[in-house]
Amino acid sequence: MQTWLRRIATLFGMAFIVALVLTGCGPDAGRQTTSTLGDLAAGGSITSGGPPPFIVEMWGYFLSPFLWQGAWIALKITTVAMAIGLLLGLGLALMRLSGFWMVRSTAWFYIWVIRGTPQLLQLVFLFDALPELGIRLDSITTAIIGFALNEAAFSAEIIRGGILSVNRNQSIAADSLGMGKFLTLRRIILPQAMRAILPGVFNDTIGMLKLTSIASIIFVNELTFRAQQIVGQNFRFFTVFIAAGLIYLVMTSAISLLQSWLEQRYDLEADRTKRKDAGPLARLTGGFLFSPARPAGSSNEAPASDEAPAVAATSVARQLDETWLARIATADDIVAPVGTPFVVARNVQKSYGDRQVLAGIDLTVNRGECVVILGPSGSGKSTFLRMINHLEGLDWGEIRVDGQTVGYDYAGGRPKAVAGLAGAKARARIGMVFQSFNLFGHLTALENVVEAPVRVHGTSPADAEKLGQELLASVGLGNHTAHLPHRLSGGQQQRVAIARALAIKPRLMLFDEPTSALDPELVGEVLTVMRRLAAAGMTMVVVTHEIRFARDVADRVIFMDEGNIVEQGPPEQVIDAPQHERTRRFLRMVGQVETGEEKA
Amino acid sequence: MPANMWTSAVAFAIALGFSGAAMAQTPACEPDKLAEKYPGLVGKTVKFGADPQTPPYTMRDGTDFDKVIGADTDLARAVFECHGIPYEIFLGGWSGLLPATISGQIDVFWNNLYYTAERAKQVDYVLYMQAGTGALTQAGNPKSIDDITAMCGATAAAGLGTVEEAALKDQDGKCTADGKPGVTVMSYPDLAAGIRLVQTGRADILMSDLALVQSLAIENPETYAVAFKILTGFTIGAGVKNGNDELLQAIYDGLVAVQAAGKQVEIFETYKIDPDLIVAAEVRKD
Repeated sequence: MQTWLRRIATLFGMAFIVALVLTGCGPDAGRQTTSTLGDLAAGGSITSGGPPPFIVEMWGYFLSPFLWQGAWIALKITTVAMAIGLLLGLGLALMRLSGFWMVRSTAWFYIWVIRGTPQLLQLVFLFDALPELGIRLDSITTAIIGFALNEAAFSAEIIRGGILSVNRNQSIAADSLGMGKFLTLRRIILPQAMRAILPGVFNDTIGMLKLTSIASIIFVNELTFRAQQIVGQNFRFFTVFIAAGLIYLVMTSAISLLQSWLEQRYDLEADRTKRKDAGPLARLTGGFLFSPARPAGSSNEAPASDEAPAVAATSVARQLDETWLARIATADDIVAPVGTPFVVARNVQKSYGDRQVLAGIDLTVNRGECVVILGPSGSGKSTFLRMINHLEGLDWGEIRVDGQTVGYDYAGGRPKAVAGLAGAKARARIGMVFQSFNLFGHLTALENVVEAPVRVHGTSPADAEKLGQELLASVGLGNHTAHLPHRLSGGQQQRVAIARALAIKPRLMLFDEPTSALDPELVGEVLTVMRRLAAAGMTMVVVTHEIRFARDVADRVIFMDEGNIVEQGPPEQVIDAPQHERTRRFLRMVGQVETGEEKA
Repeated sequence: MPANMWTSAVAFAIALGFSGAAMAQTPACEPDKLAEKYPGLVGKTVKFGADPQTPPYTMRDGTDFDKVIGADTDLARAVFECHGIPYEIFLGGWSGLLPATISGQIDVFWNNLYYTAERAKQVDYVLYMQAGTGALTQAGNPKSIDDITAMCGATAAAGLGTVEEAALKDQDGKCTADGKPGVTVMSYPDLAAGIRLVQTGRADILMSDLALVQSLAIENPETYAVAFKILTGFTIGAGVKNGNDELLQAIYDGLVAVQAAGKQVEIFETYKIDPDLIVAAEVRKD
């Protein structure tokens, strides 16, 4: 990509030099070379000697300040209108994705009207009808507003498409970290949607630049209109239009270069270690906060611990710091003493349409306990897990974590989500690990880990980075902090996901089939990390098919089927001596496909 | 009916008022007396709109594209300078000029504007020249077309939505009705595009404003010729939004003074427009 950019730049440079040489050629070069109507219409020669008169004449027009002033007007209108249009378009796109019918249809109506009516008429309307209402806009302002309103409608659909192209798991992961909607949009969704959005938006930009000529009807004297005026005066359409075309080409080439640059910025495949200093735009839209090339703490006053660079350098996987984990597990802000009820679910019910998924679950998890939920697909175990941290809403019943509901209001009798839901989730500090990892695809391993501490919990970047380095080293990924998720194996990704969940200093860890998407040989490395977590006294609820893990690590095993808890108890009871036929049947089937973690 | 009679009576009275004023003092160029003669225009910059793609009425100066010249523009300048009224030219596409005048975005539409009863419902006119239609063809008139009735089988160009376009389509119908080949009408969006049609031989005839066609043929005798001309009976004037009587009066007075000084003839000669097309300034409402 960069080589390609360099080539383009070189080409432009050469063209410029040739142009300069040409400029110096004819005696009339660089001036407007038309004289009278008769002169030129008769096709008289303008120069004697030098390059062909055609070239000189065209070059004269190309350098004409009169045309370049028009180009500048076109560029000005395009730049401002695109900026406003994109902002409005983003708003409209979000309105189109809203859960409220009225909001959705308002945006749809706007887009329907604006896209469905000629822009020329819109401009005339703004310019000539608004004065009736006492709003009198000048030409340029009208053009900017007109083009911005139009672009809003078109870009709304492009942006909506971009947002929809981002995997829904990304926002679920952000949700589980307590990131609010706006934060998720700005930091997680939009940076990834950019790849899909940029080509369409730049198409629109170039289209708009060329289309500003229709604003001549409201007295905007931009490039095409000016070219037509010259032609209207001397009828030298060939040279004038070629010159105007070249000016357009120069401008659209610049826009294309900007597009290439931005696309490269948002390219997930690009090598991030080469991007040293990200601009403010990139910082705003995420992904470039921490330069992987910079050693930890080097640009911060916070004392860099001696071990941080050493940790990053070592290839030996350090054991997860059990003292640190124990410190989290025994944090002061946890009310429930160890061994007493910590997660208490009562009569939890959930339906999707007519289908009942949970039929009234009652379950208590004690602090420090590791509970494994087993059950066939569709038994409701994952749904239940996601209701603990409110990724799914309760239909009925309640779930309390350390005595508090996670973002519910029971004022009306039924559970209702509170307004500051993201804040409630952040305060609950429940870490979650997903089957498909759900790492933020545009962020490096380290950036994934520090995102929530910095953005949600207000930890200083330096401290968060230090913690992130340590956590990644602890799960054996000290050498991979600067890698994007797609460069990591499944097992490595899941370990980053565990580090990310741990970075919010969780009071409770939820695991939703954390090894189901892994190759058999990678399962062990993830289970090893989970074992150490359990050993450190972390309260954990694990949905898994790993029977061996359940037997070895779980304090209690729960078997669910068809939205009910069929039986529960210590692993040796539920796994080795199940009471129910349904449990026995399930265990027999799972036993046949179980993968061995001893390979780790 | 009584309402119409009342309107006519009022119009008559206004017309009398104008002529009375004209009789009382012959309009003259007195820039110092602006406050006395047109107090409402003091401190106001008059915005007049024109399309700079309409030679010889309004166009860019070939030696300096930043300058706008042309018969209409020079005449407007002469009129406003006659009274010492500051002015500003607004340049835009022709079809945007009338809506802008009506909405008040500009004060005067001064660019080859034909008087029609329909337009007069929304703007008041000060008329100053007669319009005609000219047929432009290649030098030497290769197809010997000397009248609109001789156009059967020819290809002709006219501006989109103009009276000329309508006339050509009408002629096309007549030709086919007589069992002759019809007229192929090519409508162009801007004049330069139409002229290219004749230049490249894609069209045999271009029907447009007479003054324009004549000046083109005079300027480029090697390339173009006037095939024929039709005096249509249309008159051309400056358009002011209804109700802006003081400005209308100022333009009228200014035109009378400029015409009396022979300035309009001078301007027309500069742009090779036949001075016979000049008519005495006249206010026309509705």
